[in-house]
Formats: sequence, C-alpha cells, structure tokens
Amino acid sequence: MTTSGLLNHRFILFVFLSLAVLPFLSDSRSLYILFTQIFIFAIFAMSFDLLLGYTGIVSFGHCMFFGIGAYSVSLFLKNFDASIGYFLLGVLVAIMLSGILSYVIGMLSLRLKSHFYAMLTLAISQLLFVLAEKWRSLTMGGDGFTFPVPELFRDRLSFYYVCLLLMVMLFVILRAFTRSPLGKVLKAIGQNEQRAEALGYQILHYKVIVSIVAGVVAAISGGLYAVMLRFVNTQVFSIETTLDALLMSMIGGLGTLFGSILGSGIVELAHHGLTELAKLHPIFERWVIFLGLLYILVVLCFPSGIVGSFQEWREKRKQRSVQAATIVEPVE
Amino acid sequence: MDVAINLLVNGLATGTLIFLLASGLTLIFGLMSVLNFAHGGLFAWGAFAGVWLFGVTDSFLLAIVGAAVIGMLLGFVLERVLIRPVYGDHIQQLLVTLGGMLVISELLKVFWSPNPIRAGLPDYLQGSIELGDIILITYRLFVIAVGIAVYVGLHLLLTRTRLGLIVRAGVIDKEMVQALGINIKQVFTFVFLLGAGMAALGGSLLAPYSGVIFAEMGMQYAILAFIVVIVGGMGSVQGSMIAALLVGVLGSFMAYFVPELSLAVNMLLMLAVLLIKPSGLFGAKG
Repeated sequence: MTTSGLLNHRFILFVFLSLAVLPFLSDSRSLYILFTQIFIFAIFAMSFDLLLGYTGIVSFGHCMFFGIGAYSVSLFLKNFDASIGYFLLGVLVAIMLSGILSYVIGMLSLRLKSHFYAMLTLAISQLLFVLAEKWRSLTMGGDGFTFPVPELFRDRLSFYYVCLLLMVMLFVILRAFTRSPLGKVLKAIGQNEQRAEALGYQILHYKVIVSIVAGVVAAISGGLYAVMLRFVNTQVFSIETTLDALLMSMIGGLGTLFGSILGSGIVELAHHGLTELAKLHPIFERWVIFLGLLYILVVLCFPSGIVGSFQEWREKRKQRSVQAATIVEPVE
Repeated sequence: MDVAINLLVNGLATGTLIFLLASGLTLIFGLMSVLNFAHGGLFAWGAFAGVWLFGVTDSFLLAIVGAAVIGMLLGFVLERVLIRPVYGDHIQQLLVTLGGMLVISELLKVFWSPNPIRAGLPDYLQGSIELGDIILITYRLFVIAVGIAVYVGLHLLLTRTRLGLIVRAGVIDKEMVQALGINIKQVFTFVFLLGAGMAALGGSLLAPYSGVIFAEMGMQYAILAFIVVIVGGMGSVQGSMIAALLVGVLGSFMAYFVPELSLAVNMLLMLAVLLIKPSGLFGAKG
C-alpha cells in the first residue's frame, strides 16, 4: 500500500530530479530563495510528522528546536568566523542542546496523556521566546541581528543545492528510520497506545527516542533557515513557526514523510501568493486568518491530508474493482 | 511589611484574573475532556470588547458585562463549529482549537488594530485607599472582589443546583449521566458558554489593570492558564483557584525580589509539580 500512488518510488524520484534541474530552467534569485525555504521547512515538517503522524504525540512547541538551531548557528557565525567549520560547530551545538532538551521534556511529560506534552512544549517554547527577547546582549531581542554566512552559502544557487541535498538525505534517513523495527513500534503506538503497551513495549522509551530524533532534525532545519535569511530574531520562537510545521504536515498527509515535503511546498507557495495579493487588498495582510481557516478545514474535512486522501481513494477504487471482479465471476 | 502587603494584593489580583481564565478551561476539560486552546483568544476578545464598550457606553459595569456576553457568543460559535465535530478525539481537538485560536486572535487585528490599545478606568475605580502606611490600589481590590464573587457564584452553582450536580456527575462519569437520560451535550454547551464568559470577563478586567492590550496577549495568558491547570489538577475548579493565586502571588514577589527569576518561576513551579505529582495538586486523574 505504501508504495502505491503518490508514494511510488518513481514518483518521488521524479519530484526530486525535477527540483534538481529546476535551476537550469530559471535563474530568478527569488525563485531559488522560495524553493530553498520550501526545502528547509520540509525538513522541519518531516521532523514534526515523526511526532504527530507516526507516534501520535502533539507538540505545540516544536519551534523551540527550530529556534535553538537558528540561534546557535547565527551566534557562531556572528561572533567567530563565517566559515563552514563554525557553521557545522553551530549545528552540532544545536543538535546537542535539542537532544538534551527533548530528552528532559520527554521524560517529564510523555508518560502522561498527550495534552501534557502539548502544553509543556508550548510553555517551554514561550519561555525560550521570552528569554530571547530579554537577553538582549546576546540576541538583540526582537530586533534580531544579521551575520555573515560562509562562502559556499553566499551563492543562492549553491545554497539551493545544499538544502535540496540535505532534504533528500534526511528524507531517506527518516524513511529508513520509520521503516525500521523501531519505526514500526512507533506506528503501533500511534494507532493504539494501550495495545502497544500490552504487547510488552516500553512505550515511554520509544516516545522519548522519537522526540529526540524530531528535536534534532528540527534543529538542523532551524540552522539552515537562519543561514538562508542571514538574519535571526525572536520570530523563530513564535507559535506561528510551530503552526507552519503543523499545517504543512497535516495538509500533505500525516504519517507520510513525503506529504510533509508536499505540504511545505503548498503552504510556502500559498503564503507567497497571499503576500502578493496584499498589494491588491489590505485584507490579505491578515493572511493568518486564511491560514487558520485553511488549517481548520484540513483538520475537520481532510484529516488524512493530500497523500492520505489520495491513498484512501486508490484503496477504495481497488476494492471496488475487486468487488466487481468477484460479482462478474459466477456469470462466466 | 507594607511592601509585602502590597505585593500580596498585587499577586492576588493577578491570580484572580488567571483564575477567571483557568477555571473555564479546567471545567471544559474536566467535563468533556476537551482541551480548548482557543480559550486565550476569548480572553483577548474580552479585553478588546471591554475597552471598546467602555469607550462607547462610558459605563465600566456595562463594559465588563458586555464583554462577557460577547465572549459567550464567540464561545457558542467555537463550540458549534469547531468542537462538535471532533468529540472524543483528543488530537483533533487540540489541533482544531489551536486553529480557532489563530483565527480569532487575528480577527482582533481586523476589528480593532494590530497596534496595542490603551485601556482606561472610570473615575470611581481610580486612586488608592490608604490604611496607615499601606497603600492599596482601588482597582486591584475591585478585581479581587469580582473574583471572589465569581468563585462563590460558581461554587454555589456547582454545589447547590441540580445543574451543578449534573455537571459534577458528568465530570466523574459522563456515560452514566447520559444513561440517566440527561443530554450531556446540552450541559456541555452550557459549561462551555460559562467558561467562555468567564474568560472574556477576565480579559475585560485585565485591560485596565495592565493599561495596554494587544492581540497576542491571548496566547500569553493562555500559557499561564495552562500552567495553572496543570499545577492545580485537570478538572478541579478548587485546584485552579489555589494554583492561580499561587502563581499570581509567587510572580509578584519574584518580580520584586528576584526579577531575573520572575519569568521562570511559573515554569519551575510547573516542572516541580509534574515531577512530584503529575496529576496536579488537586487532580485525581493522571
């Protein structure tokens, strides 16, 4: 089932290859930036999907890892030297911090019902937001700061390929992760926690592992995001950042990593389009309303997202043709 | 000494406002196990509606009552449109109410303005009362008085009326209440309206207290309310009362004596409670 339709290997390969040749068709810098942003948010949304889609854990503070990644990379590049080495060091520090933080939060709240994790992550991400606002000597508060980026990332085209490559790599790694025996347990927990527990699995153990993986991947995307903007401010810790990930993985289809990539593309393009429309009518400046309404509609009407709905549709069609075949048979 | 009393009064007033927000949240959660993430939006709507009505009618009493009514109307729409379709599915509820939060707090910017708005007070609530060395600000006492009135009213409603009996029974065993032929959904709608009204009332009282209101304040206070609900225990009105006062008083003392820690104090309180008694101080369920 997972290899049918939109999740067909050939289709995924086709999408990745077309993204790789896209820069040959156009040399618009703003297009590169838009797509780079899509790749970065796709990584972020995939990490979110590991939690919500695969394991059924709701996090409302996923931006905290994104923000940790963004700030630690920015601070290293600003205060030391704009080299690849310091970029990697920043990413490494971000990975360590996110790993520790997600471990602590997971141990504290994942043994409780899902809403505890949702509230705790929301609260801690807000705490980090306030911390970043107040610790002005380090972060410059809400004004943020700009910083130089390594030579390789200065060219929009090479950064495009760096992000595309990272997205594809993380997609492959995370797919292997979700298809591993460990990933199967996560899916079992997502479908029925009590049953997974009754089967003898230490579900807390598995949940903490997935929250650490999700946190670390989110930190990487945050680091890339800061490099793309060459600027960072407290916005990375705002609830909208978390909502972006939520919306992207929901629109694409929960529990399908490729859906997150698709969702990221749709949301970013829609956001871009609505901002353009703001020039026509001021109501589009409040595009968050449309985003919110779209999001509510998706939750209520298409809970399985694009990839999920497509799969369901295919399943139904297959069943119908099987039914038709069995009815026809006795007549022959 | 007079500093301590002032801080205590400040803390109690803040705590009362948080209580108005948190008790609705915890009631809704306790009865129908719906965690309404849009609750903070109702609070912010209460604040904006209160300031607007005070400007239009020039009567503060009318403004806060009107704000509560607007909050209830909004709550009615939220319950019908967002929560009705997703009964029984926690994750869906969390997601859909968060979307609702987004829409209603952004709508605030459409109706009023994206910029912060100043909130005023009527003459008779301005100024302060002097008792020897102690100076008590009138408005804070007024807030505390309203809080006590609401608490007592809620307590009487829950313990002395048939409706309260049904609500309390529903919190313990929803199916049993339904089996007795009571339409629990209607009861829930009522509780939801009550919670929304209390949140909006809290918002309208907060506006002059903090002086300035802005659209993002909903999320800010919602987080405080979540902390209170966790600390007090999900579904316990009494727990949220005590936790709200604790958070308020602790916050005001910390802001005076150890300002660096004042941001983190609520978080630390919540973490401590989660470590020691995950179900909260007055919570029964885990």
